[in-house]
Amino acid sequence: MTVTDDRPTYKWVGTRPIRHDGYEKVTGKARFAADLDLPGQLHAAYLRSPHGHARILSIDTAAAAGMPGVKAVVTGADFPDLDPTDPNFDVSVNVMARGTVLYNGHALAAVAASTRAEAAAAVAAIQVEYELLPVILTLEESMADGAPLVNEHNITKFVESDGPSNLATSNVVERGDVEAAFAAADLVVEREFDTAYVHQGYIEPHACVVDVGPNGKADIWASSQGHFMVRALTASVLGWETSRIKVTPAEIGGGFGGKTTIYLEPVAARLSEKSGRPVKLVLTREEVLRATGPAPASKSRIKIAASNDGELTAIDCWFGYVVGCTNDFAGLVGAMSVASYKFPNLKLEAIGALTNTPKSAAYRAPSAPQAAFAIESVIDEIAQTLDMDPIDIRLRNAVVEGDPTAMGMPHPRIGFVECLEALRDSDHYRSPVPDGAARGIGAGFWFNIGEQSSATVNLNEDGTATVITGSPDIGGSRASMALMAAEELGIDVYSITPVVADTESVGFTDVTEGSRATFSTGMAVVNACRDLIEELRARAATILGVDLDAVTWVDGTAVTDGKDPLPLSAITAKAKSTGGPLTVTASLNAGGAGPSFAVHCCDLTVDEETGQVTILRYTAVQDAGTAIHPSYVEGQLQGGTVQGIGWALNEEYIFDDAGSMENASFLDYRIPVASDLPMIDTIVVEVPNPAHPYGVRGVGETGIVPPMATVANAITRATSIRMTSLPMSPPKILAALDTD
Amino acid sequence: MPRVHLMSDHRRFTGGEAVVEAGGATVGAVIAELEQRFPGLGDALTHGASAGVNGEIHSEPQYLEVDPDTDIYFVAPLTGG
Repeated sequence: MTVTDDRPTYKWVGTRPIRHDGYEKVTGKARFAADLDLPGQLHAAYLRSPHGHARILSIDTAAAAGMPGVKAVVTGADFPDLDPTDPNFDVSVNVMARGTVLYNGHALAAVAASTRAEAAAAVAAIQVEYELLPVILTLEESMADGAPLVNEHNITKFVESDGPSNLATSNVVERGDVEAAFAAADLVVEREFDTAYVHQGYIEPHACVVDVGPNGKADIWASSQGHFMVRALTASVLGWETSRIKVTPAEIGGGFGGKTTIYLEPVAARLSEKSGRPVKLVLTREEVLRATGPAPASKSRIKIAASNDGELTAIDCWFGYVVGCTNDFAGLVGAMSVASYKFPNLKLEAIGALTNTPKSAAYRAPSAPQAAFAIESVIDEIAQTLDMDPIDIRLRNAVVEGDPTAMGMPHPRIGFVECLEALRDSDHYRSPVPDGAARGIGAGFWFNIGEQSSATVNLNEDGTATVITGSPDIGGSRASMALMAAEELGIDVYSITPVVADTESVGFTDVTEGSRATFSTGMAVVNACRDLIEELRARAATILGVDLDAVTWVDGTAVTDGKDPLPLSAITAKAKSTGGPLTVTASLNAGGAGPSFAVHCCDLTVDEETGQVTILRYTAVQDAGTAIHPSYVEGQLQGGTVQGIGWALNEEYIFDDAGSMENASFLDYRIPVASDLPMIDTIVVEVPNPAHPYGVRGVGETGIVPPMATVANAITRATSIRMTSLPMSPPKILAALDTD
Repeated sequence: MPRVHLMSDHRRFTGGEAVVEAGGATVGAVIAELEQRFPGLGDALTHGASAGVNGEIHSEPQYLEVDPDTDIYFVAPLTGG
């Protein structure tokens, strides 16, 4: 179901062609990084810290270097020490420890050998002397007075700092008079919440193949969300010029934010450089969980004031995010969750606390889900207390165009109200709650971002086209680019070949994050096509012998009065005689990314004997602006929802007291599987983003923001117990039932 | 003159003022004037914030042109997943 708001009718945009990369993927022919093998290739393995925090007194690699098949060994000494003020310092330290291991699983050496088994055997022969240091695992331990330093190089971001500390960042946003509003309120609800570390859970482990040639130049094939990012970070960690590195994007088996940074490539590059052979490095699932970034754990205190008629008059929030061993926390992004509501009086404080756990990473809408779980739970409690419909209270307070975001800037045209109304009018919400079940709803918000993209469009001699971009296809961008190009050029979408090119074959493109690819890279494609149409009109004018102004472009055809229309293929056939190849490149730094809102609804049952939650029905409503390829949009909504349900019900990192992860496998770290869930129904709302030629809003991230509160609110209505701790796993629910 | 809306963390440079006015034809020029009046603020805005201008958020806004009636909102740097 789609709700359309003021949207033009398109020929190609909004259709559902078979995706251009579909055949390769369903037949197993798509090439992921681990599928690549080069002649003479070596296999690499890591030595990882068995300690949560320790000084490295010595590393003896002599025995390992002499073992059968071993061709190269690297440690931190093989990498330059970046200045701690370098923006890539933390990435560098995480790639390979220098002097200190900061978490259990931190890499401190790697071996390349003829086989993976030989490399693993050599890793086991490396001798390391450690001096154990205090291990900090929780927010409370990290922020305690006199707490040992997690990372001696950490300087707090965004506020004055008098030296290293465990505080990663601290942000405060305020408006109005919060205290006065609470004093005058009819109702005040205050709750504390906590959430666990969760992993992005991509099925494909990180992998790369690197070949450093005799000229010192590196060819890298890697799975990532941005191969220009891989090139830049690898160059920085190695101390190389960017031009020494070419990165070819492999197909990606899921990233969800977790592949917006690097872990392997500099290590494989240095091993390849030392051995003179190509090196393949593929993480195991255990390594993925132990040593690549989970989403932060969190604690929060939420206090919201309301009037008896349901106006939300004030909010006071404190969020503490546990960000792991280095400081990549980007600020008060989690507080954006409250940007869904008007709140005339507002105070938000967010801190990031360092711990001796893996460096955290983005997970779809980074840090917003934790905040939304808390805020949307309290709003649900207010609705219950006031006996209001949970959609009505949100409609009463929903932001619209011109209302301030949490950070002050006014919202542009947005579709939150339209999402709420779409759910209110849906079959799901209008259907009675099944006997024995309960229903919850929750909402979410994400800003989305623009940033830099490039695209080249080549017209072939027969009128077909190639669209070349630098955005890895992590969520359907190839099909989306082809659809927008088809709409612009007026040619069949299947006559367009969308290509994701390497770093030497397309203009710079920022990493795919912030739901930006279809928005920003799509805009670059549209701009290139529009420039190309101008050139096509000029060529047509030459062929037809008329003035340029007499030629218009209509659905893939040059049209002029008194002449037969000239199709695109007739113009490309005469490219040589009219001026040469028809090719255009466009690059931009896109602003105006349209925020996306979502509202979810869930029916579930709670087994009071076992604590197990069964999801019976789930509907995700989200504003996509314009759904370029609706199937992909629906897939993003479903994917975010399923990951959010896993976050809500089962997923959590479990550490022992020394910081060792005790459930580092998919057997023990339980993500949802198909048999756990019903089909996730979707309602795509379309309130076009005025800043994009087709009205696109990014859709990849918002879908993970509402599920935790949605599920929690349903559980609360099923059990009459407000669940405030994630995951709401069977033991926790049983404990809550027992306590009640 | 353009109005500059500051994050709470930056208000320590302005004596607590949340909104200040500063002349300039670009965001960078506005920041330069603010640095003259409030030493340290310019550096904080340049290296620790993105800017919302005319409804769009920019991570490197220095050369964005602004009008006398433009509102500039400095916000925490945004990233995504």
